[in-house]
Amino acid sequence: NVNEIRSGFTAIKANIQARDPIRTVSILSHPHSLHKIKSSDKCCIIHQLFNFYMDRVFKHCTTEDSYINRKISSIANSFLSIKRKLVQCHNQNDCKCGQESMEKFKQILTNYEGLNVTSAAIKSLGELDILLDWMEKSR
Amino acid sequence: GELYCPLPNPRNVHFESINMKNVLHWSAPEGTGDGVLYKVKYSVYGVGKWIKKLECSNISRTWCDLSNETSDYEEQYYASVKAFLHGMCSDWMETTRFNPLTETKIDPPMVSVSSTEKSISIILTAPAKWKRSPEGESISLAQVYPGLQYNVSVLNKKTKKRWWFSVSNDTLVVPWLEPGTAYCVSAQIHVTTPFLNSGFSKEYCIATLKDKTA
Amino acid sequence: ILDEDALLPAPQNISIISTNMKHFLTWSPVTIQGETVRYSVEFQGEYEREYANESWIPICECSLITATVCNITEDISATVPYNLRVRADVGARRSEWGTLKGFFNRITTYLTPPLMKIVADGYHLLVELEDMGPAFQFCILYWKKGQESRMQQKMVKEISSTLHLDTMEAGTDYCVKAQTYVEAINRSSNFSQMQCVRAQGDRS
Repeated sequence: NVNEIRSGFTAIKANIQARDPIRTVSILSHPHSLHKIKSSDKCCIIHQLFNFYMDRVFKHCTTEDSYINRKISSIANSFLSIKRKLVQCHNQNDCKCGQESMEKFKQILTNYEGLNVTSAAIKSLGELDILLDWMEKSR
Repeated sequence: GELYCPLPNPRNVHFESINMKNVLHWSAPEGTGDGVLYKVKYSVYGVGKWIKKLECSNISRTWCDLSNETSDYEEQYYASVKAFLHGMCSDWMETTRFNPLTETKIDPPMVSVSSTEKSISIILTAPAKWKRSPEGESISLAQVYPGLQYNVSVLNKKTKKRWWFSVSNDTLVVPWLEPGTAYCVSAQIHVTTPFLNSGFSKEYCIATLKDKTA
Repeated sequence: ILDEDALLPAPQNISIISTNMKHFLTWSPVTIQGETVRYSVEFQGEYEREYANESWIPICECSLITATVCNITEDISATVPYNLRVRADVGARRSEWGTLKGFFNRITTYLTPPLMKIVADGYHLLVELEDMGPAFQFCILYWKKGQESRMQQKMVKEISSTLHLDTMEAGTDYCVKAQTYVEAINRSSNFSQMQCVRAQGDRS
């Protein structure tokens, strides 16, 4: 599924990122980088991030372009499919978030809430490769 | 004072990246002829400031090596170019967001072959990531892309038959071959996530030794 | 067959044909005397039902088409249950939506055994497999004839024409069978027919 999300995102990356004119703010990578999250916290942070994308990103990304909307739908449904598995993994492994990592996730929400909803959602969608690169690196 | 900027803009501003040697390229503004000079700046996505690339200030060439400034492949970048001519200037023209990890092109692997009477041994070496200086630490792209594999083609020059091998480590021994026969080897790098393929290396040919007993 | 003023009926017999991760929606034609009937298809994934107000998404390649089949492979790109619906249009007249009975989940796709050809080239065992697309991997089992208990396995992701499996002992028979594996739905096909070849030379 991650490969399918990756290819879906690659198809819309240029279009979505072009809709995000703000260079000086990132939702996922600044001031804290996902790459600095402790490996013991990854299970929990991935779980949190998938909920974040399901609850606060995809629904605010409808565009005037039906091709883009279809690709966003397939990414969102793939996310949902993985989220189902993460819930099982989360319950089985009881993966807790450390204090430090929860601070980083809160910072992500702060970054998101620092912008209007549509800009924040489009920016988050445009940063999907940051999430995928980090997830695949730790696979 | 603020310059008057009616000059046409530089065109097609983009990164060209090979093994994470990241070079900014652009085309001259339309219809400007000779004498145009350029300035370049770059920024780390999500960080609030543009940084001038001093070595690319007032240059006439249409490229600028930003490998040093974009070497952290856990970050993403923008770069921008402005043209100047006869006291006038253009707008700053930006790249799209550049992700070195997924947008670099990977060179084919180095291939070295040796042979015995009945086998050939193939050693594959992935290219190294661009580095600041020859003395700097060499990082193989195999470390950058943990899922890196090799597709290896072995052509029997006598029978003209080509075999394919999919190899995860960097050595491959093909035993039980015909003595005194030429084999040509070529290899390609394949990364599954993110999806990246190098081109094929040139062919390296070697002959198995002649059968001493024959 | 209906006359012009009757209410345009919704398409019937809506069903899915899904083989090897290629998915097609089909339906029976609506027939109106002397008229060209056109059809439009929409889909709704689990995400749309649970997070996006049960919205439906049109498939533009299947908007106002005259065919009674639509390739929905590109849009069924997640392993979740999907709803699908079709409606008919004749001029300004439009039917109600006809909806697929039950959900469609690509996990139910029919996986066929791979086409496979085994080659013995001297002491080398080679296999040729058909390229079935990026979603497919191949699990190849091979063994010395008569020694089924000592089977060896090779997983192959990238298909190139003649794949080298292993070297063989002189004059020995080797048998091979293969199945496809689709990671996205975590399912495998049945095995292909077993094929056997003999290595050159005499048995030691």
